[in-house]
Amino acid sequence: MEQLWAADGALTVREVHERLAGTRDLAYTTVMTVLDRLAKKKLTERERDGKAWRYKAAAPREEMAADLMRDALDRAGDRREALVRFVGQVSDEEAALLRDALARLEAREG
Amino acid sequence: MITPLLLAALALVLTGPAPALLARSSWPYRIPRAAVALWQAIALAAVLAALGAGLALSYSTAGEPGEPRFDPSSARDLAAAAVLALTALVAVRLVWAVGRVAVGTRARRKRHRDLVDVLATPDGLIPGLRVLAEETPLAYCLPAMRGSRVVVSVGALDCLDDGELRAVLAHEQAHLRARHDLVLEAFTALHHAFPRWVRSDVALDQARTLVELLADDDARRRNGPLPLARALVALAGSPAPEAALAAAKSSTVLRVQRLADPEPNHPVLASATYATAALLLVVPTLTVAAPILKALANAVT
Repeated sequence: MEQLWAADGALTVREVHERLAGTRDLAYTTVMTVLDRLAKKKLTERERDGKAWRYKAAAPREEMAADLMRDALDRAGDRREALVRFVGQVSDEEAALLRDALARLEAREG
Repeated sequence: MITPLLLAALALVLTGPAPALLARSSWPYRIPRAAVALWQAIALAAVLAALGAGLALSYSTAGEPGEPRFDPSSARDLAAAAVLALTALVAVRLVWAVGRVAVGTRARRKRHRDLVDVLATPDGLIPGLRVLAEETPLAYCLPAMRGSRVVVSVGALDCLDDGELRAVLAHEQAHLRARHDLVLEAFTALHHAFPRWVRSDVALDQARTLVELLADDDARRRNGPLPLARALVALAGSPAPEAALAAAKSSTVLRVQRLADPEPNHPVLASATYATAALLLVVPTLTVAAPILKALANAVT
């Protein structure tokens, strides 16, 4: 995925494999499977180029990250039920109450 | 004629005053597990009683059960049929809402997990942990049958020490293990099944708070209350990146105050709550089933 984001245009499986060969020892078929899977998840787009597929990222990295953060921070809409957050942000007033309670606990635990 | 009235009354009490009263009480927070069961029983009993009232009403207007004779020229029979149709409509709406929420939530969650998997880096500290290169302090979990994820942002890692991080992860793993998302999903579906003017947020809000308390209790048992409380304060107190974030009221204060007190242990209160939950389910079920069973018994002898 990093290679697709870094590339100017669409890449074939062979091109991705070559770019990865410098840093990681991956089989050609592995790269092919991964790219195919990413396309099925609509994270990449692909077009026919002769006998091979050319892959490119469906959106720039920043756009996907922004999409993810919108999901993660959404507190109202439908997205809210998809994930369970550890804790949400609180108001200043609540933050003061939080610090009081924590101080009480720290005093008790010593 | 008395059965449908009783059931309708029960349904009304269970949708209005009972949840309102329960939500204002603080004792459920001492026994979160039993309280979740009680909320589930209230919701289910309300649905059963409402459906049962419709069924019983159409029975008692249409004559004795066991001898169905439908006469389209009789106003009584037409009214009975209308009530029955309305009851069926409510039931269908419920099933529809459950299906829609289940499909929608899974699709959104899967899409989010795909994004997490290409954007975040795996970390071997616990299975399924992904670290997201974002400054905003964030920690959440993505429940699933297989391949659930716990996502933590770099911003969150920066404001937590090792013990606090372990507490956060224990909390999220408790959510995943106990499938708290399924509990919430049921309440969400119920919430969506009814038109805006009759439904209230009370049950869903309470369920959300209670499953957080359950996960907190699990993390507290593993690592003690202090790291978890510190982690909550550290992550909740960090500046909100968007205006929308600070708006909603939160259960965070309740959670930290609860950790500051000794771990609750109220076996009697919990047992009584479980008993009430069981009773709530048995009474409307029997009331609806009794005349049908009686009719069946009569038909056999």
